[in-house]
Amino acid sequence: MRKKIAYCVFILAAAAALVCSVAVFPDNAFRSAGIACAQDDWKAEFEDICFRTDDSLSLTNEELRRLVSRCDALKPRIEKLDETERKVFLQRLRMCRDLFAFVLESQEKK
Amino acid sequence: MKPTLKTFAVAACFLIFAAGSGARERVPPQTYGRVIIGNHSAGAGLAPVVFDHWLHRARYTCRLCHVDIGFSMKAGATNITAATNRQGFHCGACHDGKRRYDGKIIFASCTESPVGKEALCDRCHAWRKNIAHENDFKAFAEKLPKDVFGNGISWEAAEKSGQVRPLDFLEGVSLKRPALKAQKDVSIEANVTWISDVVFSHKKHAVWNGCEVCHPDIFPIKRGEKKYTMLEIDEGEYCGVCHGKVAFPLASCEKCHTRPTF
Amino acid sequence: MKKMSFLFLCVLVCAGIAAAQSQSGMKKRRPLPYEYGKVVINNYSEKAGFASVVFDHWVHRSKFTCRLCHVDIAFAMKGGGTNIRAADNMNGYYCGACHNGKLIIDKTAVFEACAKKLGGENGRRCERCHSQGKNVKPERDFMEFASRLPKERFGNGLNWEKAEADGYIKPLDFLESVSIRKPALAVPKEMFFEPKGAEMPDIIFSHKKHTVWNGCELCHPEIFVSVKKGSRKYSMEEIFEGKYCGVCHNAVAFPLLDCQRCHSKQV
Repeated sequence: MRKKIAYCVFILAAAAALVCSVAVFPDNAFRSAGIACAQDDWKAEFEDICFRTDDSLSLTNEELRRLVSRCDALKPRIEKLDETERKVFLQRLRMCRDLFAFVLESQEKK
Repeated sequence: MKPTLKTFAVAACFLIFAAGSGARERVPPQTYGRVIIGNHSAGAGLAPVVFDHWLHRARYTCRLCHVDIGFSMKAGATNITAATNRQGFHCGACHDGKRRYDGKIIFASCTESPVGKEALCDRCHAWRKNIAHENDFKAFAEKLPKDVFGNGISWEAAEKSGQVRPLDFLEGVSLKRPALKAQKDVSIEANVTWISDVVFSHKKHAVWNGCEVCHPDIFPIKRGEKKYTMLEIDEGEYCGVCHGKVAFPLASCEKCHTRPTF
Repeated sequence: MKKMSFLFLCVLVCAGIAAAQSQSGMKKRRPLPYEYGKVVINNYSEKAGFASVVFDHWVHRSKFTCRLCHVDIAFAMKGGGTNIRAADNMNGYYCGACHNGKLIIDKTAVFEACAKKLGGENGRRCERCHSQGKNVKPERDFMEFASRLPKERFGNGLNWEKAEADGYIKPLDFLESVSIRKPALAVPKEMFFEPKGAEMPDIIFSHKKHTVWNGCELCHPEIFVSVKKGSRKYSMEEIFEGKYCGVCHNAVAFPLLDCQRCHSKQV
């Protein structure tokens, strides 16, 4: 019984230490450990979508539709950011998304 | 009743426009086209500037000054300062002490430390001062084709005959461009029966103004976009920007309303 | 008698209305070369006890593309449209994306925008931007800057297109940790527009010349929404009012007054 209690206490303590260490260790430590932090995900996703704006004319309709959908899916995550980041990235996302939609519509109407 | 109404309407209009333009503002020919500019003169301890159009329009097109150099067509609205003149803008575009006209040096405006300061400044800052003009209007106007109102000179005829050859290019300020085709004549409807429609000649105006003086600031590009009345023109808008202050005044009705109706 | 009185009254009323009108139909002054492209921003400046911000485009467009500021940094294309706060700048966004005291441009650290503590040295720094109506000597002299660049008429009096093409200026299009690395831009073809109504030369629109400064998303679809050529008519009235081409060519790029810059295809 005592061994079981000790074991549970040890597990709980380890879990608490892990939770607390989020504030102690830098993000890089977790990334390098293969654990990506949620706060960087949206930015990586944003860059992954919007880096295609300059060669959008070479994308297929299907690829453009996917990019527009990804923009729409990313928007709610950006809306949860703090005021300044939200302002800036909503604008950037809108320009990026609208360009893909524009190119898609141009290609569909050809 | 009709003839009485027509007579009254004609008489009323003549009263308004003669009073508003020709008669009320009838100034001596050499004074017509005079602009008084006093944005900053008082602050500098100088009299307001007196600018006489007749001398300048004989030498340069309206377009050169009002487009290339960028003067507004409303006294005081350009906000000319001694500093902008010294930098080579506004009056200083020509009045820089280096540029020549007809072989003669054009005097510099607003020099920092002029010799005999007052005499030099007074050439322009001359409002209500008894300054003798360097150029004599009477001698200038003597040989030019005559007109009834304004400067008493038919500038159109003078330019056509080559007696005045206004420059349209200023080295270092203007840039040569392929000329745009002059637009066709335009008929502007007079919404009354007792005076004829106006036949507006683009060609005659483009000689002095190019396209940019009038469009789009004064007149919209699209025909019929703006309806303007003689009252607005008399107030100094549209045609009245020029015709009332510098070009032949509105009292010369027959110059625009060219066909007689009665 | 009654009809005459009525007519006389109408004439008087019209005279009164005409006298009261003060809109259009007037030739405005043209901005001086160093004034052209000036934007005054006052969302919060006066409320915070500062003069409005004066932003001169000529300084910035010689160093950065339009795209970098108006897409990557997300500035609006209209004065006051971005809603910039001092806190935004101090957090490294908007002006603060460059004006952070650390970024090196032309071997100099770009001065920091906005400060938590005011007065003293910081006060002088505030005035570098918050200078509307104040006699603040600019750090950079326009005349000296302009002297070495190819000239054009109107606007800034400079041929920005030639200045970039000939290497007089090399505007940056990428800012580390702000911009996204992208593959090369695929430039669409030149387009020709026939003006209807007036006998003006056709317009040659060069995508190549515009994408150098703007990329794609600056213009499409916010400014130019038409997905098919000919499906939308752009009128000069709307352009002069600041729509379409007028978004840039009314305020910052070479002005619309220079008709032949666009109307250049002689028939």
